[in-house]
Amino acid sequence: MARELPVDGSAGRRVTAAAALFMGLGHLVYLKEYVKGALFAAIEVVFLALSPSIARKLVDLVTLGAPKPDLPIMQRDNSIFMLIDGILVLALVAIFGVVYVLSVRSARASYREYCRKQGFGTQSDSMGTALGKAFPIAGLAPSFIMIVVFVVVPLLFSICVAFTNYSAPSHIPPNNIVNWVGLDNFKALMGGQASWSVGFARVASWTLVWALLATTTCYFGGLLVAVLLKESRIKIAPFFRVIFILPYAVPSVVSMLVWQFLLNGTFGTVNRTLHALHITDKVIPWLGAPLLAQASCVLINLWAGFGYFMLLAMGTMTAVSEDLFEAARIDGASRAQTVRHITLPLVLYQTLPLIIMSFTFNINNFGAIFFLTGGNPTVADSTTTGAGGTDILVTWIYKLTITLLKYNYASVIAVMIFIVLAPFAIFNFRRTKAYKEGEL
Amino acid sequence: MRGRQLVSGLNKSIIMLIFVVISFFVLYPLVYVVSASFTPGNGIASVSIVPFGGGFTLDHFKYLFSGTPYGTWFLNTLIIAASTSALTVVVASLGAYVFSRFAFTFKKSMLMSLLILQIFPSFVGMVAIYVILLRIGGFDSLWGLVLVYVAGNIPYNTWLVKNYMDTVSRNLDEAARIDGASHFRVFFQIIVPVARPIITFLSITSFVAPWMDYIFPKMVLRSVDRQTLALGLFSFVTDKKNDFTSFAAGSLLVAIPFVLFFILGQKTMVTSFGGAAVKE
Repeated sequence: MARELPVDGSAGRRVTAAAALFMGLGHLVYLKEYVKGALFAAIEVVFLALSPSIARKLVDLVTLGAPKPDLPIMQRDNSIFMLIDGILVLALVAIFGVVYVLSVRSARASYREYCRKQGFGTQSDSMGTALGKAFPIAGLAPSFIMIVVFVVVPLLFSICVAFTNYSAPSHIPPNNIVNWVGLDNFKALMGGQASWSVGFARVASWTLVWALLATTTCYFGGLLVAVLLKESRIKIAPFFRVIFILPYAVPSVVSMLVWQFLLNGTFGTVNRTLHALHITDKVIPWLGAPLLAQASCVLINLWAGFGYFMLLAMGTMTAVSEDLFEAARIDGASRAQTVRHITLPLVLYQTLPLIIMSFTFNINNFGAIFFLTGGNPTVADSTTTGAGGTDILVTWIYKLTITLLKYNYASVIAVMIFIVLAPFAIFNFRRTKAYKEGEL
Repeated sequence: MRGRQLVSGLNKSIIMLIFVVISFFVLYPLVYVVSASFTPGNGIASVSIVPFGGGFTLDHFKYLFSGTPYGTWFLNTLIIAASTSALTVVVASLGAYVFSRFAFTFKKSMLMSLLILQIFPSFVGMVAIYVILLRIGGFDSLWGLVLVYVAGNIPYNTWLVKNYMDTVSRNLDEAARIDGASHFRVFFQIIVPVARPIITFLSITSFVAPWMDYIFPKMVLRSVDRQTLALGLFSFVTDKKNDFTSFAAGSLLVAIPFVLFFILGQKTMVTSFGGAAVKE
């Protein structure tokens, strides 16, 4: 079956053309790689067999169904199922395209190998290399499938929903269908609808302020405590260290809920204690007035978060070589000077990437807000937008999704978070060792 | 000389004072959790402002095990946490090994996308995950939740393990390959033992996270007998109930193993955190 191929590389175009014509053809006809070729061909046959339904799903993705009010609810077009199926099918088509490219590349690589060896290797040899080459694919397949199904498709889905009118009350399947609306949602949140755009601007700016304050307070709080613990030479320092780790060890759902009860205005222990000690007889609205509630959020987050940075700073400090301190002492530096000129710069330099990571984490720090205040107290625009005075973007997304069913606005906000945070991720990528050493 | 000693003594007492003040704030809510879980009554109002000043009872702990499905919640959460941890370790370390030791097309773009995907808060795609689970029959099931967790864990942890494996010398596995060992054997007999520190770290972090996660269980699990600890505990203080003392008792039981683990493991954590920071 296999034709004799010239070994001087002149048949490269012929092999490529055969491989491009039908997946696996090049392997089967020219290269004697029957297992591989048959596998590739089978993939294409299956794909072609499925293509009518793939085409139908793609049409559904474009139209999102038609309203059929006369049918019973279960038989109406469900736009959301159509959207998800369409995206899944798109992902499938993309994977097929990638496999196609890979199959052509593999055929060309095999032909080059054939030219180099001046003929075919023994059959068992090529079976062995085929198995060896299959290992990376087998190793990555579970990760790849799971990420595509549970991360990439939901992500694409969110992006798509941002351009539809999927929202309560009149566009919730299966009763009604959903339509593509272009940039309407973006316009509505950026000035189109008064209370929504006010709410969006307010929540977005508080999210940034929150992330900045939460990160810096925890970082410098943790650093300060770590330096004091190390430099103070107090005998019971390890004892304090254990105490300071406790907030980090307690699950944050628990500690935030407990704080919520302790800070309750009327029956919380904090106010009752202040009353009993005659410090004040007013009811202090720790979580009830917008500004004070925001301050409480930052403070309680400091309580919960400084332990992590304390551990981090201590870890970095123990990694600093003793020789440096020794040299500084011989040169007559005081303890304060060694802290200022050796410890702090080194720790700062080494933990800088983690500050950036912590900033992105705090932008998405759902638990610290949701379990402490639930986003409350309510402010002027809360009745329409559902966003309270301490809501950050993620907790607002949660409310929009769960209680208000405004999936379209929730998705717009999610897309914005993504656009803002992606540069941070790329920055972190660029400073990894592998990237710097040019391996990637 | 005596002046200097005086200054250092003064410094010490100031630092001591700072530590005592911080300790007070750190311990303040924790003491109330312990105290509330032994206090008769239900609401926070019945908890005395003097810790342990409101009487003593073990009723809340008895109530947890006789009046609520606390044991079922615990078992469900344990199953979810253990399977998430095991699957994450296998899938992420296998993927990391491939990324660390093989060269292939699209490697760079795949690594880059892993890193970008990891910053997207996964519950943003909640509606899509909900529909996908419905379609594959994983809705209202523990394994559906486990799949969601594992998929969410993979991007970042694959990176983490890959970075660690990059620092391990290739001589050993290349020698084994030349001796004819298969990739699977190299992976299980050479790479996994060498990468044990990072794999331990990975299994612990992915085991701990599901214990107190709220959003995904709330979305995926509906049946009464498939609730997790976080859902159950949260239901004490929401759902129009105000049973703070039972919540405190339940939380105390979960928190104790965590706290013990952290205190016993803090030395290791200090060094591993330091190591992670230095390596990057």
